[in-house]
Amino acid sequence: MTTAWDKLRPYGMVAPAILVFSLFFIYPIFYMIYLSLFDWNFVSPDKAFVGLANFRELLADEDFRKVLGNTSLYTALVVSLTTGISLLLALWLNRSGWFHGFVQGAIFTPHIISLVSISLLWSWLMDPEYGLLNGILGWAGIGGLPWLSHPDTALLSLVLVAVWKGIGYNALVFIAGLQSIPADIYEAASLDRSRPLTTFRRLTLPMLSPTIFFLVVINMIGSFQVFETIAIMTGGGPVNATNTLVYYIYEYGFRFFKIGYASAAGVILLLIVGVLTLLYFRLLSAKVHYR
Amino acid sequence: MAQIELRNIGKKFKQEAVIENLNLTIRSGSFTVLVGPSGCGKSTTLRMVAGLERQTEGEIWIDGKCVSDTPPGLRDVAMVFQNYALYPTMSVRGNIEFGLKNKGVAKPERERLIGDISELVGLTPYLDKKPQSLSGGQRQRVALARAMVKQPKVFILDEPLSNLDAKLRSQMRTELIQLHKRLGTTFVYVTHDQVEAMSMGDEIVVMDKGVIQQADGPMAIYGQPANLFTAQFIGTPPMNVLLQEDMHALGIPAMPGVHYAGFRPEHAVLNPPDGTEGIMLRGRIATRESLGAEQIYQLELASGALVSVKTFLRPMETVEWAAAAIPAEALHAFDVRGNRVECSLNEWREAAGGGILTAAGAGGRS
Amino acid sequence: MKEGIQQAQLGLGKPGAGAAKSEPRARMRLAASGRLLLAGFNRACMLLLVLVFAMPFAWMISTSFKTLPETMIFPPVWIPRNLIWENYTAAWNTGPFLRYAANSIVIAVGILLLQMLTIIPAAYAFARYRFAGSRLLFGIVMVTLMIPAQLIFLPVYLELSAFNLLNTHLGLILPFASSAFGIFLLRQAFMQIPDELIEAARLDLASEGRIILRLMLPMVKPVLVTFALFSFIAHWNDYFWPLVMTTNETARTLPLAIAKIREVEGVATWNVLMAGNLILVAPILAVFIASQRHIIQAFVYNGVK
Repeated sequence: MTTAWDKLRPYGMVAPAILVFSLFFIYPIFYMIYLSLFDWNFVSPDKAFVGLANFRELLADEDFRKVLGNTSLYTALVVSLTTGISLLLALWLNRSGWFHGFVQGAIFTPHIISLVSISLLWSWLMDPEYGLLNGILGWAGIGGLPWLSHPDTALLSLVLVAVWKGIGYNALVFIAGLQSIPADIYEAASLDRSRPLTTFRRLTLPMLSPTIFFLVVINMIGSFQVFETIAIMTGGGPVNATNTLVYYIYEYGFRFFKIGYASAAGVILLLIVGVLTLLYFRLLSAKVHYR
Repeated sequence: MAQIELRNIGKKFKQEAVIENLNLTIRSGSFTVLVGPSGCGKSTTLRMVAGLERQTEGEIWIDGKCVSDTPPGLRDVAMVFQNYALYPTMSVRGNIEFGLKNKGVAKPERERLIGDISELVGLTPYLDKKPQSLSGGQRQRVALARAMVKQPKVFILDEPLSNLDAKLRSQMRTELIQLHKRLGTTFVYVTHDQVEAMSMGDEIVVMDKGVIQQADGPMAIYGQPANLFTAQFIGTPPMNVLLQEDMHALGIPAMPGVHYAGFRPEHAVLNPPDGTEGIMLRGRIATRESLGAEQIYQLELASGALVSVKTFLRPMETVEWAAAAIPAEALHAFDVRGNRVECSLNEWREAAGGGILTAAGAGGRS
Repeated sequence: MKEGIQQAQLGLGKPGAGAAKSEPRARMRLAASGRLLLAGFNRACMLLLVLVFAMPFAWMISTSFKTLPETMIFPPVWIPRNLIWENYTAAWNTGPFLRYAANSIVIAVGILLLQMLTIIPAAYAFARYRFAGSRLLFGIVMVTLMIPAQLIFLPVYLELSAFNLLNTHLGLILPFASSAFGIFLLRQAFMQIPDELIEAARLDLASEGRIILRLMLPMVKPVLVTFALFSFIAHWNDYFWPLVMTTNETARTLPLAIAKIREVEGVATWNVLMAGNLILVAPILAVFIASQRHIIQAFVYNGVK
């Protein structure tokens, strides 16, 4: 009844995908770990084995520590602001009907627009001399801001752009989460004379926790590898104020050709993302489940 | 037309044996119903006949051929699933045609078959609709048409009526019986509903825990239940079963080998006229239900045992205490394992049914 | 409503029993109009929210029609005096734009086609077959799903350079020839199809290939469309990979070219830049407006499973 072909078929069917993943994801991970142990400039034929020297050098590097700090601060701000604001927006906009649909569509739009467009657009909006933002601030009687051109405001400006791009998507995911909560538990709560705030705290929030969790993690992973806005809007400046991990790796790999050193930084980023992912699955299986 | 034989069939899921050493012959052209509580192995048995599940042991023969190694599509078996399993992406026509296409039936022939079948089950106006837009009854007909068009030797139906509402269900029941008469093909039908089993099957196979309890015609199953399980599974309310101490209290004589005595609620006569012969029961009426034409009472005997009594076309009893007479010939006897005891039953019945109701006894217990 | 007003007036004139009856009605009316006002205010706030998201785009369009001096007026003006269409030709002529556009399409479509070929069978096998090692193989899919591609660009760059695939379409397509996200999504869809359907098809003598092509694939079509939209938009927009994997014009895509406009010119020619930006944004925006519901569903889908 089962022929040899029946036994082999599943392997044949997964083989192409697995081949692609192995070649362009799994193998590169190991290759990167391998490279991080060498000193290599990409052009010379031989690589010199240096052990963990790259990592030691990295951790001693003032700039790298600054970059780690920048990345962490950026991530913390983007994740907390995006998640918080979008949850509020979701509660506000969670209704059907054409008007609400229109509003939801409008705030979602930036999510599907290329980061290149958004970066260019916001560079122009944030132009300190002729930009629209300073125009509006001036019109409101407040002085203009230096935005991207000053170390104190540059990172915050990038956070603003990321939040602007992200909240629409996040809010819609929250709305989907809200709508998947069965209506009858709200009816039960109202029969139990639960006040709205109590209902939100004791029912909505716990029921929503898998969604919150999901969004926090993907926002974190996304923020940790921020690149486009930095490459286009600030180039890591001014004075390294917006330099972050992926941009740092990019510069060391493609501008300074320190492949081993850049790989070591890559391994550290991999570790961070790996830990975050593991944490996600651990916590997800541990408690955040109500269905 | 084909006879189906299951020989020493066993089925294990992982390590757990669901069916062990099952032997069954399904008569050619019969309407055989497999009935039993959920988890009794009836669906698994059916799916093994269809070839959707492979038996762990034993052989399955259809029409004199061993089909144990034949893939489902080649067994000449058609199946109607509980949820119909209509292909949602195909029209009604596409659903009926799919199997014919796979068989390589030529187009004109396909057209003719589809035309005939849809005429027969009344689907002609719906041929180009998607199943989702049809009602439950119409979907049921599509499922039937899809099975019939292949002109199989065996029809297999897995609880096909369980998703229909009560009225439609009884209508489809009648239609299925007529369909079986017209086609004359072997029908194997699975249900957990004993009423459905009794009303449709000309052969009934009662199953429990993977074992066949009794396989017989409906009247035999009702009249001579082979064991306590069948006795209590068939009939609503189920057969009353008296333990030895109850038998003693009621004056039913002990017999070697008889551990349980049973009688059907509809055979007991509630508050019988004076002079009625039989075994006398007296008790408090614990519950009363009326279904209109019939009334069901539960009597609580002095021992605390509850027995059901059913009356037909009589006004509801309002008294608190009632008596009931059980005619001797309505008694069934079972041994310690619950199996029917047939030997010397008549003498036992004669000895048991000695009581004659008197006016004094009718009103109450003491 | 009208009756309520009359009642209220009556109540005013005649204190006593009438007032007791009509006062709650008047209050209800007040509450109703208050609610209406609140709803109006609520909607106004929502429109303000829309403005926060629409204004930057409006500003982009406005700028793209300005002269260079007009961009350097402070405070800014919204409506340019003349519509300067030349900004668009200027943007288009900063490089071989036809080639960039073609590259963008070839790469996004190429990726999509290959993904379809690889994810459909893989997702089906993971959803429907039990085979030794399937857990390990699915583990590879999950790792790929979790590890962002941005993280391993350096080794992939070296790999592609070893295969001589830098600056080629193939080099930009192959690393994305399959999608872990797609497999995950499609596997869920395949798993939700009831077994009975497949059993019915087996009884209908359908071969395994026919079951997949004629029965299963049509059933997961919505998910496939969803994924196709998702994949196309993501790769059409992609900046990072083409930036890293190309050094010349051969395989350069639109986003790169637009970003380059800024670097080419000495002065920031925002009008030309915004015109170029609009060229990049317009197709996606048009697709979005045309099938907004579908796209939102596509992107939000993975958030709630």
